[in-house]
Amino acid sequence: MSMPSAMPTSFISGNSVVHRIHPVTKIVWIFVYVILAFTTQNIFVLYGMAVLAISLAIVAGVFRPLLKAAYLIIPVGSSLISLQVLAPAVEKPWTPIAEIGFVTLYGDGLYYALVLLGRIVSSMLLALVMVMTTHPSDLFLAFSKLKIPYTFNFMLAMTLQLIPVFQREVGIVLSAQKSRGMKGSGFSAVLPSFVPVFVGAIERVQQLSISLESRGFGSSGDKTSYRRVVARIQDWFYGISGALIMIGLMVYSILQPRLWNLSEVIVFEPQTVLVTFSVAVTIFASVIVGAMFLSFRKT
Amino acid sequence: MRFGKKGQGHPDTIETDLAIQVRDANYVYPTGKVVALSGVNLDVHPGELLGIVGQNGSGKTTLTKLMNRLLKPTSGTVYVNGLLTTPRTVQEMSQHIGYVFQNPNHQLFARTVRDELEFGPKNIGVDQDEINRRVEDAIEFFDLGSVIEEHPYRVSFPIRKLVGIASVVTMRPSIIILDEPSTGQDHQTTRIINSLMRRLSDQGTTVICVSHDMPLLADVVGRVVVMRNTEIIADASPREVFADRELMLTTNLQAPQITEIALRTVHPLGGPVALTAEELATDVAGRISKRGN
Repeated sequence: MSMPSAMPTSFISGNSVVHRIHPVTKIVWIFVYVILAFTTQNIFVLYGMAVLAISLAIVAGVFRPLLKAAYLIIPVGSSLISLQVLAPAVEKPWTPIAEIGFVTLYGDGLYYALVLLGRIVSSMLLALVMVMTTHPSDLFLAFSKLKIPYTFNFMLAMTLQLIPVFQREVGIVLSAQKSRGMKGSGFSAVLPSFVPVFVGAIERVQQLSISLESRGFGSSGDKTSYRRVVARIQDWFYGISGALIMIGLMVYSILQPRLWNLSEVIVFEPQTVLVTFSVAVTIFASVIVGAMFLSFRKT
Repeated sequence: MRFGKKGQGHPDTIETDLAIQVRDANYVYPTGKVVALSGVNLDVHPGELLGIVGQNGSGKTTLTKLMNRLLKPTSGTVYVNGLLTTPRTVQEMSQHIGYVFQNPNHQLFARTVRDELEFGPKNIGVDQDEINRRVEDAIEFFDLGSVIEEHPYRVSFPIRKLVGIASVVTMRPSIIILDEPSTGQDHQTTRIINSLMRRLSDQGTTVICVSHDMPLLADVVGRVVVMRNTEIIADASPREVFADRELMLTTNLQAPQITEIALRTVHPLGGPVALTAEELATDVAGRISKRGN
């Protein structure tokens, strides 16, 4: 019996407002998010976008799977803060706030670490919510209506559809290796897990391409679908408002560049930087030590 | 009897002669919507050759995954060699119970077949001399001498299947579960798998075979458990199970062709419920000989 549990980055069926939004509108919003996230350095905008993405996840009923999928933020965030406080990715001069032995901590780094983390978090969360609430076939159909080239459209839809397949494959491979006494996680698990999944993926793609060829893939004529995707007034509204918000904020950033980058306005107290750095280093070190422990512990 | 911390009130170990003891095991998938196993009770004795049959979705694989702790029962208990599986890890259980997956591609990763055979024993801490002995034994039994230094993905699929089985056999667990061992295999590989199951059983290993291959089960196993809709509905010898036409009908299973022929021809005349061609041929030859006299 196959395991029917929801995969953290695959479509989760539902009938929420977010589920019903037109796939193209969702794509527009992802573009808006990515462009805003990578142009602004205002942490309030960045984390506001992340909060909006989380709100959408709650409305769509996919908050728990989103949390499962977003756990990578912990090692990424802690490593970003640790490294940026030690060596900020901004032009010198840096502002030293403390010295621990031969290590100097710089206050400028914390703000930029939060900016970088905010970019990743906001873009990732929204993209995950959209993937979890959009059936790949609907996306495929919506794109075909927009006259996106069939081959490109197919590649995109196929990629999304194969994600849960490969996730299931990873689960089976891990089960098979654990049954042979392999430690279930850590560095030593990478090779025994990666090779079978990778080989399986190549074989699957080869079989799929043969199957597609034999069923006339790429032959002329419009493709039909039993699924219907209708662009409602709300979808146009959401899409256009998303684009307008982006344009508005971009114009605002040109007119008020100081508000677009608050690094000079928000100056963290040395104690704040020190505490945040300590917490981040502790978390990052725990992740590393935990991974090493899992790798080397005896079964 | 010792009580474990995570055993939810069940003893951590029990004194038992059984290789596997399943009591009132239920399993519901984490979504809470799909019941995969309902109130299953099963005793498996050491050295027994047991077949588990049933339609897809009847709960066969779920039951075997409870045994090696890939899954934890939602309620009920599973003891393997007297050890409660619930508080233990899959890695801990792998020293007692080997699981051969249906698709060998899910487990092969090493650069050579030899490395693949050594992977399991190394994981459970077997010393290198013993590993070498086990690998040599596996090479001889599975006839892998010509491919031992090959990459596992460069050998044919039937050989790859044998490598997958051999890689678990080298761990020498006291119980081995084979999930669909003969699916997609040629006659020769099926024959090797057949003799492997017999040999393991002769050596005292408990063998559990989940399969749709009724002729293989009829030929090899001593006991068949039939599952339907997440429950065990029959547990008897292959002869009794395959002779029960109503059972076969209700479970959408098909007895081996030889058994079908025997049931329609010699059995009504007092002949046996033949499970193999040899049994049927012996009976028919005897009848012809009697008639000739």
